[in-house]
Amino acid sequence: MQKVKNDIILAIVLLLTAVAGLLLYKTLQSTGEYAIVLIDGKESARFDLRADTEYVITTDKGSNTLVISGGKADITLANCPDGICADHAPISKSGETIVCLPHGVVIKIESGDKSSDEIDMVA
Amino acid sequence: MKKLLICTIALLLLLSSCSKKEPEKFTEYYFDYFDTATTIVGYSESRDEFDAVCEKIRAALEEYHRLYTIYTRYDGINNLYKVNNSDGEVTVDKKIVDMLAFAKEAYYLTDGNTNIAMGSVLSLWHDARTHGEKHPESAALPDMERLKEASLHTDIEKLIVDKEKSTVTLLDDKMSLDAGAVAKGYAVEMIAQNLESDGISGYLLNVGGNVRAIGLRPDGTKWTVGIENPDSTSKDDAFLALVSAESEAIVTSGSYQRYYYVDGKAYHHIIDPKTLMPGENFRSVSVICQSSAIGDALSTALFCLDYKKGSALIESLEGVEAMWVMPNGEIEFSSGFESYIK
Repeated sequence: MQKVKNDIILAIVLLLTAVAGLLLYKTLQSTGEYAIVLIDGKESARFDLRADTEYVITTDKGSNTLVISGGKADITLANCPDGICADHAPISKSGETIVCLPHGVVIKIESGDKSSDEIDMVA
Repeated sequence: MKKLLICTIALLLLLSSCSKKEPEKFTEYYFDYFDTATTIVGYSESRDEFDAVCEKIRAALEEYHRLYTIYTRYDGINNLYKVNNSDGEVTVDKKIVDMLAFAKEAYYLTDGNTNIAMGSVLSLWHDARTHGEKHPESAALPDMERLKEASLHTDIEKLIVDKEKSTVTLLDDKMSLDAGAVAKGYAVEMIAQNLESDGISGYLLNVGGNVRAIGLRPDGTKWTVGIENPDSTSKDDAFLALVSAESEAIVTSGSYQRYYYVDGKAYHHIIDPKTLMPGENFRSVSVICQSSAIGDALSTALFCLDYKKGSALIESLEGVEAMWVMPNGEIEFSSGFESYIK
C-alpha cells in the first residue's frame, strides 16, 4: 500500500512539475519584445527593448544609429539621402517596422508571443 | 499502479504535444524594385519551400520593374523609359499594354485624379526632390511656370494603346508617362493572381504599401494588417486601424512615405493634377478592395480629391472601402469599412 501511495505522490509531483514548467516556458516566451535589425533582409542583430542601448548599424551603403530607450526603438541618425528612417516615430509594438530603403535596413519589433492576433503586415 | 504512471506519462506527452510544430511564419525583404521596399510574409513547412515562392515573386517583381520603370534603359527591353524616349509607335510587351490600358480606365474612373500621362509634371518634382535630397542646402520646389507649361502635355487621350498590335504611341512629343500611381499595384495584383492560380496560399505581399493577401493563414484565420500611424507616440497608437484580410488588397497612400524638405517643410510625392503641388487634404488614405491594381489607383486619386468627392466615388463603387486620415489625425471611414476592422 505504501508503494502505491509513493507512486501516486510521484505521479502528482511529475504532473505538477510538468504543468509548472510548461506555464513558465509559455510565460517567458510571451514576455518581452525585441528590435530586430535586418540588413538586406538578413538578421544582423537583436535587442531586448527592456535594455536601453545605442547601436550603429553599418552597411556598405551607409550607417544608421539605432537607439533603444524607454521600451522603444528609434533611428535617431542616418546618412541616407532621404532621412525618412530618422524621421520615423519610435516603434515598440510587435509588427511595427522602420525601413531605410537606401541602406536596405529594416528594424522590426517582434514579440515572443506568437498568438494568431499578431500583426502580419503594416501598410 | 502502473496504470497511474502510464496515465501520467500519457498526460505529459499530451501536454508537450500542445507545442507541436505547425507551418512556420517566414519573412523576406527586397529593396530593388519600384523604388520601394517589398515585404513577403508567408507560412510554410520549410524555409526552402518559402524561399522558392519568394524567388518566384522576386523574379516577377524584377520583370515588372524593368518593364514599368521610366528611369532606366535595359538592353533588349522596350520599357516605359523607351516609350518616353521614342518618337512614334513602340512595340512593347503585353504586360505594358495591359497595364496602360488599365491605367486609362483608372483615369476615367477617378475623373483624371490618377493620370499616368503626367510624367512631364512628375519629372520636375522628381528632379527637385532628388536634388534636394543630395543638396539639402539648395533644396527648392520646382518652378511653378515650368510645372504649368509641363501640365499642358498631360492629355491621356494622346496616349494610344493598341492591344492587338501590342504597341504604344504618345501623340504629344512633350508628353511622358509615369506609371508610379498604378504600376506597383498592378504588378502586385498580377503576381498575386499567378500565385493563386498555382495553388499557393498563406502569403501576404507588400510592395510599398500595396498589400495583397494570397489565401488565408494556414489555420484558416484571416490576416491582420496594421494601418501605420506615422505620428505614433506609443504602443497604444502604433496603428490607426487593424484590418482583417482574406485574398484582399489593402493599399495606403501617405504623405509620410516619400518626401523631401524645402526650408524645413516636407513636400511629399503625391502630386495633385489640379494644383500641380503635393496634395494637402490628408495624411494618408487607405483603400480595401479585391484588386491591388484598383486599390493603388484609387488611393492615389482619393489622396488628391477632397473628402466629399472621394467619399462619393467610393460609395458609388461595389466592394471598395476607404479610410481617410486628416492632417489633424481625425479618421473618416467609408460606410462598409468598419466590417473589416478587427
